[in-house]
Amino acid sequence: MKYIKLLIFAITGALLVSCDTDEFLNPLPDSVIVAESFFQSDDDVLAGIIGIYDAVQGVNENTESSTVRFNRGVQLEYLLTEHRSDNTRSKTLEGSRADFHRYIVEPENIQSEDYWQSMYEIIFRANNVLKYVNKADATNINKYTAEAKFLRAYAYFNLVRLYGAVPLVTAIVGPNEKELLFTRVAVETVYEQIVSDLQAGVDYLDNTHKSRASKVAAQAMLAKVYLTLATPNYGGAKDLCEDIITTGGLGLEDNFSDVFYNELNNEIIFAIQYLSGNPEESQGFSSEFTSYKRQGRQDGLNIVNPNLAEDFIANGGNRTAVSYAAFGPDADLPIPENAEVIKFLPDGSDISDPNLPTYGGAPANAGNDWIILRYSDVLLMHAEAIMAGGNTSDDSAIDSYMKVKVRAGFDAVADRPAVLTVDALLLERRVELAFENHRFFDLLRLGVAHEVLGAHAEEMGYTSYNIRRLLLPIPAREINLSDGILTQNPQ
Amino acid sequence: MKNQINIFKNTMKVVWFISVVFLSVSCEKAFEFELPEAGSKEDTSLPVASFAYIPNAENFKTIEFNNLSTESIKYLWDFGGGNTSTDKDPSYTFEAGEGSYPVTLTALDGNEASNTVTIDVEVVDKFVPIPVTILNGDFDGGSSDWKFASFTGGNTNPFNSSSDGSFTNYDGTDNGAKTKGAKWTKSTSAGAYLTSNTRYAYQAIIVSPSNVDRDVKYILEYEYAIKTPAEQAGVAPGGNRIISEVLDGHFEDGADAVASTPISQFIGSEAKGKTSHTLVEQEFIANASGEVSIMFYAVTDVDLYLDNVKVYPAD
Repeated sequence: MKYIKLLIFAITGALLVSCDTDEFLNPLPDSVIVAESFFQSDDDVLAGIIGIYDAVQGVNENTESSTVRFNRGVQLEYLLTEHRSDNTRSKTLEGSRADFHRYIVEPENIQSEDYWQSMYEIIFRANNVLKYVNKADATNINKYTAEAKFLRAYAYFNLVRLYGAVPLVTAIVGPNEKELLFTRVAVETVYEQIVSDLQAGVDYLDNTHKSRASKVAAQAMLAKVYLTLATPNYGGAKDLCEDIITTGGLGLEDNFSDVFYNELNNEIIFAIQYLSGNPEESQGFSSEFTSYKRQGRQDGLNIVNPNLAEDFIANGGNRTAVSYAAFGPDADLPIPENAEVIKFLPDGSDISDPNLPTYGGAPANAGNDWIILRYSDVLLMHAEAIMAGGNTSDDSAIDSYMKVKVRAGFDAVADRPAVLTVDALLLERRVELAFENHRFFDLLRLGVAHEVLGAHAEEMGYTSYNIRRLLLPIPAREINLSDGILTQNPQ
Repeated sequence: MKNQINIFKNTMKVVWFISVVFLSVSCEKAFEFELPEAGSKEDTSLPVASFAYIPNAENFKTIEFNNLSTESIKYLWDFGGGNTSTDKDPSYTFEAGEGSYPVTLTALDGNEASNTVTIDVEVVDKFVPIPVTILNGDFDGGSSDWKFASFTGGNTNPFNSSSDGSFTNYDGTDNGAKTKGAKWTKSTSAGAYLTSNTRYAYQAIIVSPSNVDRDVKYILEYEYAIKTPAEQAGVAPGGNRIISEVLDGHFEDGADAVASTPISQFIGSEAKGKTSHTLVEQEFIANASGEVSIMFYAVTDVDLYLDNVKVYPAD
């Protein structure tokens, strides 16, 4: 026993040496999944990619009703886009959802904050997949990379159009790297990243999926980015649209209603899927669009402005009857004051009786997909690219424009214009793509946002409107977290 | 020993006194209300002045300014010539009209930190006159769109429809054959032959109004033909002629229109024969209301024809 001290000393020494301090002090937990341990195989990377779509899909407000700390993803987007255009409004004036259509969104607005957070959630998840993508099978690495980049570009494209210059984060960074997380990067630089990310999609994706990124989706989104740039790349957009038209294997649905009620049909390029009746995978916006017999949490959102109804009546053709409906006393008005969107009616809806519409068994957990890109959008972008900011008499531009009009019931010969004007194109986009969150961006892209929305605000008595309202304020929470690095938009 | 204590006492008194004075002086500082300063940080978000501008839709000389400054609450605008504003989004009229004017904006925050920007504001007259469409200007639709609503002591029929119009189509291309036109004869003439059967062709149009800044010029264009003496004999007092007038205003009753003083009048008397048309480009200056009308009539012994009536802005 006289060596006991020596023995203890030796054993302790051996124990100390045998410890890998790094692993010992930072053990990977066994009971929870962390990124480091999660991504081990091709399947794991694919699961990570599906997780990005989950961020776009968002959480149904009827499943998790807390207004904070839930990503609504694309489910609240109509507030930031359609409500801020001349298309729609909120029925009530109460609550932060009613601020968008009156152009009084504050930096504290909870829905704007949620959308910002949702977009950066998409970006974070995409960056995360990109970090571990090399764990995938070698043949899939390019494809998975392109898919994550496509979704990252989608999020940045939305952010840069709504908020202007935004922080550009393209890797996983820690919470303390505030300069990287909160420094606003010039709009042109953000667009360079978007173009390069989408180019990867054009190069490496195929057309297997409609509910996931595809080559045509990347082409269509890149074409839209080209048209949106401060110095638009009209030639590039035209080539992309022509490639989609000739090789994309897409076509217009004969019946306009089938675009929305026959999911992933031939016209769909990219849609976010939802499952009816499933609280985890359903959406809440379908129910929010009801008002007369309201099914949602609000009095009615995305209520159709009379000004849009007038455009529909004059130029909608057979789209009018399947785009919006008026109920009760409004049904008898020549131009309804409070019409409701019917492109996304929940399963089992029956609106044939204007005084007693019904909305099936689970309207709050609706399964209607959210369409991000579809073929008629591409046809109209094709015309827009050829027009290059002016009017055109080019036959192929007018052909593409007429394909959309003819499907809506107009005559291919009698209604064909000799000259296609920017106003006519904008009007066609308005009635074709109403309630699909295009109008606000269309007005911005074609350079008439201030003109059109200024007149609209005056007509509706929205006195708070001014040109600064075309950009949303940067959410106050982000500015507070940034220690003064993130700057506010002009207010 | 007693002395020593006394000395000590005195020393203590002095020490006490000094201590009290020191404390009372230092207290002032210790009890100062220092919350606003405690833990406060320097304001590093400083104002950045910036603005954009849009000309007013009604008057190009009035510029509407859009303040794009950040981190600021007070604004001082200097439009030059001692004209200033403290509004956030002022509008200002540059009475001198077109030109480049440096405008300075100073943006201040609550700490009076400021930033100044000067931008040359370009005041440009981007006026484009509104186009005019003449209804049934080629007379293919007979006499429709050319009638007065009423005509006291007269006739609302505007002319005789004719198949002896110009060979030229309305779009300027050659038709290769006669098109339809309008026709006057001795019995529908005015002047020496004025009766209740006299015909006046009339159409109300809207043009861009003239104002103090500019005269807006338009051209009334048409073709007319008068039969030659070889084709038909006869000369009206004053000569065979067509009279085209641009009238000041819109008229319900033809009698009021005929009695009014025209803005512009042209008399065409070239007789080149049936279907040999003469082109007239009659320039006129729009009135202040923009509401004008065009009127045609004839004084002729022989057949007289009118075709392809157009109104467009003069370059």
